[in-house]
Amino acid sequence: MLKINELKASVEEASILKGLNLTINPGEVHAIMGPNGSGKSTLASVLAGREEYEIEGGTVDFDGVDLLDMDATERARAGLFLAFQYPVEIPGVSNINFMRAAVNGKREHEGLEPIKGKAFLDMVKEKAKLVELDGRLRNRSVNEGFSGGEKKRNEIFQMAMLEPKLAILDETDSGLDIDALRIVSEGVNAMRSPERSFLVITHYQRLLDYIVPDVVHVLVDGRIVRSGGKELALELEEKGYDWIKEDIVA
Amino acid sequence: MDSAKPQLMDRPKAEARHAASEASGAALVSALDAILGVQADVALDAVPVPHRRVERWKYTPVASWWKDVLASDVNTVAAAGCEANPVPGLDAYRLVFVNGAFDAVASDLPVHTGVTCMPLSQRGNAKLQDTDSFSPETSDWFAGLNGRYSQEGLYLRVAQGVELDRPILIHHHTSGEGAFNVLRHDIALALNASVKMVQWSTAHAGAEGSVNVLTRADVGEGARLHIDKVQDEEGTVRHIAFEDIRQHRASHAEVHTITVRGAWVRNDLTFRINGEGAHAELNGAFLPGEGEFVDNHTTVDHCVAHCTSSENYKGILYGKSTGVFNGKVFVRPDAQKTNAYQQNANILASKKASINAKPELEIYADDVKCSHGCTVGQFDSDALFYARSRGVGLEAAKAMLVRAFIGDVLKGLAVLEVRLEVEHRLAEKHGWEVWSDHPNDEA
Ligand SMILES: Nc1ncnc2c1ncn2[C@@H]1O[C@H](COP(=O)(O)OP(=O)(O)OP(=O)(O)O)[C@@H](O)[C@H]1O
Ligand SMILES: [Mg+2]
Repeated sequence: MLKINELKASVEEASILKGLNLTINPGEVHAIMGPNGSGKSTLASVLAGREEYEIEGGTVDFDGVDLLDMDATERARAGLFLAFQYPVEIPGVSNINFMRAAVNGKREHEGLEPIKGKAFLDMVKEKAKLVELDGRLRNRSVNEGFSGGEKKRNEIFQMAMLEPKLAILDETDSGLDIDALRIVSEGVNAMRSPERSFLVITHYQRLLDYIVPDVVHVLVDGRIVRSGGKELALELEEKGYDWIKEDIVA
Repeated sequence: MDSAKPQLMDRPKAEARHAASEASGAALVSALDAILGVQADVALDAVPVPHRRVERWKYTPVASWWKDVLASDVNTVAAAGCEANPVPGLDAYRLVFVNGAFDAVASDLPVHTGVTCMPLSQRGNAKLQDTDSFSPETSDWFAGLNGRYSQEGLYLRVAQGVELDRPILIHHHTSGEGAFNVLRHDIALALNASVKMVQWSTAHAGAEGSVNVLTRADVGEGARLHIDKVQDEEGTVRHIAFEDIRQHRASHAEVHTITVRGAWVRNDLTFRINGEGAHAELNGAFLPGEGEFVDNHTTVDHCVAHCTSSENYKGILYGKSTGVFNGKVFVRPDAQKTNAYQQNANILASKKASINAKPELEIYADDVKCSHGCTVGQFDSDALFYARSRGVGLEAAKAMLVRAFIGDVLKGLAVLEVRLEVEHRLAEKHGWEVWSDHPNDEA
């Protein structure tokens, strides 16, 4: 599904990703943990095609195509989804119209007609139920004035609407209360399938109790320095990151 | 609709060239005097001929106005008709002016108790409103031109308490080459009267010439006036519009200026608030494309206490276009408890576009609330990336942000059909997909 090879990226002259390798097979859930500022969100942004980041080396293969060759729109249409750590507010654009544009963009890519009003609304209803998104939020401006938790639910709602092949969830758990964490996780789990992969960025092992990963990676200073099973997350929770950093130095 | 009217171009070429080389107001005035005839004795030598050193015209390329007005070689103006109704589905009274001349066949005047509405030329002995030392004619040369030569326009009087049942649509249409259209709309609303007006300007794709419109409105005590003003002119038309709004006690006046299209547009609005408890509202959206120029000058003059004004102008500039916003707010010493709000936000959608934006607040009373904000920026790159990461194309994402940006201005339009048609025409001009509705609509 995704094969990252020696990826190097910088922003404003500062190199952030320093030779990152990661392979995710179809149907797998991978988790990335790592200290603040280690480059997790940068990796997510680079994969999603944010142009502020300079690619300085490496390759990324996404389901058989060169991901780095596509712009952000094309990547999304090809089936990549990023749930933002900080979802963006777009005043004046209703959530529902935003999603209609997104869905129709994807349909255009697939050679389909724009979705019909009724079918679209049915789809919205069904997907909103998945994450129990408050109906009123659909008609409000995108993320504007949403609470932290509402924004995160909205991200997962959008993911459900777009049915990506690979979803990157960047700290989707932060800002969610205990119930919301469970609801959102169940929403994600409901979408797990042999064809769909997930890359879950988190600081807390608790999320991984709900969304059980196949592999856990530790990202430190722009590189994946350790990978393991889900017990690695427990170990990190207990010991922090220092022992890994010491390991690297040693 | 084939009403022709003497045009400036009727004069011999040589004379035009001469006037051009002189490039002097006096030369043009004497040429125009001969062609158009002096309608009112407005002296033009007291005010400076506009050029870049005159503050009011500092950022406006007046030279191109001179060049166009003086250089045309065409002798006749083909008075092609215009669309019957520029606003589909709008049920309105209509006054159509083609190349400055009233088109009776295309018009549909109101027959309504307490409403006197006719083309200016048919008003007989009825007097127009006086100009005074604050009128645009006294301070501006182009307004002076209007005062001197205007002979046609709308004459409207609405009696006490009368609320007109339908909007009045004034349609200005310009066609052919060398048009020189001078129009004057003279409006007075008596106590508690209420009118919605639409001023819609169009021009034929091949049109060349100039349009000069002055709207003077006296909004009586408790009266309400709404003007939706839309400029959607193809061709190369130099369009100058003045609004001189005078407000009395507890009156409410709104002017919404939307410039969809226009090679060269100057809007000059003045609100004089002379009665307590009055409210003035002036909003605008301008979206000049490649090579277009749009200039919005506004003045809100708070002369008395306890009044409010609200101003919101949004500009989005594409290609190599230029914009100007100049918003003056005066709060005179007697105007205590004034609440004046002004906002001007601009997006430069291209590296080659430019805007000169300047708020000018002069406040001489101490117990007032005045706020203003002025911004010039680019598209929000976070929002663009967010939309693209959902599979929305770059251009579609920009269009989405533009529509959101000007949405509040368009929502302020008094007539729904006008807003829908504006949205339609903007979408057509900029190649946007159909306009999606706005999130906070009540409907
Ligand atoms: N646009 C940018 N401009 C400048 N520096 C940036 C930019 N984006 C990221 N950085 C820097 O890159 C480094 C990695 O940031 P990143 O957001 O990827 O970290 P992270 O691992 O996601 O951290 P966190 O756990 O706090 O979310 C940080 O030092 C950050 O300041
Ligand atoms: Mg991060």
